[in-house]
Amino acid sequence: MSVNSKENILVLNSPKNKPKRIPVKCKQTNRFIPVFLIGVVVLSVLSLVYLEIDWIKMFSRIPQIGEVFWDLGHLDFANIDLIFTSLIETISIAVLSLLYSLILGIIFGMFAARNVFNIPFLSVITQSFFTFLRAVPTPVWVLLMLVCLGMGPQAGVAGLCVHTTAFFTKSFAQSFESIPDETIEALEVTGANKLTVFTNAILPAAVSQIVAWAGMRLETNFSECAILGMVGAGGIGFVISNSLQGYDYGTAGVAILLVFIVAYCIERIFVRIKKKFA
Amino acid sequence: MKKRIPLIAHDLKRLYTAFIITALVLFVVCSFLTEFNVMTLIANSDAFWEFITEDFFPPALPKTSRIPGVLSSVLVTLALAMSSTAIAAVLAFFTALFGSEKVSPFPRFAKVVRGFATFLRNIPALVWAFILFSSLGIGTGVGFVALCITSFAFMVRAFVETMEDVSQDCVESLQAVGATFPQRVSQAILPSCLSGFLSWFLYCVEVNIRASTIVGMVGGGGVGLTLFSYIKSFQYDIAFSIILLIAVMVIAVDQITGKLRKEILK
Repeated sequence: MSVNSKENILVLNSPKNKPKRIPVKCKQTNRFIPVFLIGVVVLSVLSLVYLEIDWIKMFSRIPQIGEVFWDLGHLDFANIDLIFTSLIETISIAVLSLLYSLILGIIFGMFAARNVFNIPFLSVITQSFFTFLRAVPTPVWVLLMLVCLGMGPQAGVAGLCVHTTAFFTKSFAQSFESIPDETIEALEVTGANKLTVFTNAILPAAVSQIVAWAGMRLETNFSECAILGMVGAGGIGFVISNSLQGYDYGTAGVAILLVFIVAYCIERIFVRIKKKFA
Repeated sequence: MKKRIPLIAHDLKRLYTAFIITALVLFVVCSFLTEFNVMTLIANSDAFWEFITEDFFPPALPKTSRIPGVLSSVLVTLALAMSSTAIAAVLAFFTALFGSEKVSPFPRFAKVVRGFATFLRNIPALVWAFILFSSLGIGTGVGFVALCITSFAFMVRAFVETMEDVSQDCVESLQAVGATFPQRVSQAILPSCLSGFLSWFLYCVEVNIRASTIVGMVGGGGVGLTLFSYIKSFQYDIAFSIILLIAVMVIAVDQITGKLRKEILK
């Protein structure tokens, strides 16, 4: 692409002052892209036909969306203490699951990385198990944890941990594997055992990446956590879904606004941290 | 005497210590607030194992008469993710053109466009689904719109970043020779950013496959709803085989998009 952008700056002076077209298009285009675009269009049209959405009914109800937003805009601060405690519960669940998963992720990432224990079989087994855990959406795990552990923050933390640990295991294993073999060999020559090599060479080198992954995951965990209440766990999601179903739009409006503000703050803080590190 | 050689720089070490202390403080505060204790989890591990070994294993197939329904619900989920992402991508492309100060014909409104996208993005898809359920009623169409909103907002941000990374000199030079806005878009932005856009589009498809399962659980239809009904009726062994089905679906889509992305970025 950079070649292309340089070509664009070329300006040719034609001798007869005749307008001349300068080709600015990329010469070496990827043949695959048109095929891909056509494929996407065909698939989407097929999908839309298959879904059989009743568009006329949907469009006729659009004014109602405006009404709902109008109602949501009438913020009702009567239940602010309930909203606030559930918001704090949600944030705590997000942070706790993040911290537990960090520890678990480092441990399992150690097993999953090929260069820590040098047992290919172990890393393949760990990686494929966590690929499975990662493929199933978080609310499913939370629902199952609700069955095992009963209502309350326990189920939320445990359910979120499953997915977050699976995510961390994969990404930490990648960071661990990016350590050059020379570093490990140099320490092994001095007679250090595998665990010492891990804590002294591999872990310190991966810390900055681990912090970056954790920051990114906190964003996701918070929005997941806000969702969890809607499938039956506690927290702010429960307040939102409950008050929307009870036509208490003012309370729901306040809760949604707070979710937005917290998510936005986390995003801003994370952008700041990322800039500092980069 | 043994001497330790520090392997990380001194100022970095201080930073990491700060991180660890914050983590510890957060841990204590949050544990106190939620009254979450790992020990209770470990104490309950008997019931946990019982649940896994007796209710969960082995995965059972649903009744043979229900199998076509389950498979078609998987298709609904896939179709929902695909079509909503595609439509959101088209909308996001045109919006992103106005969201970048370098490209937009009205640079003053670029911030407004981006702020609007930020607002849409920071509210989770499921919250959108609930807001829309209360105005449009329950159904696949609402799931479609909810997925559209979040992936639209995400792609606006991603597309604006892609454009600002790639094509500033390109756009400026075309502007200097007097190209109009549509010409600038079709001659400068599209050729240089298309592969980046498509790569983000594929990422969004991956995310939406998971999200459409979740939106389905609360009433958007598809395999999420099937799973939810099996869990609610305590048929955990059947639910487990559906969870396996979802995992297979997600992993397959991830593999396909991975292959396609390699082809596109070639």
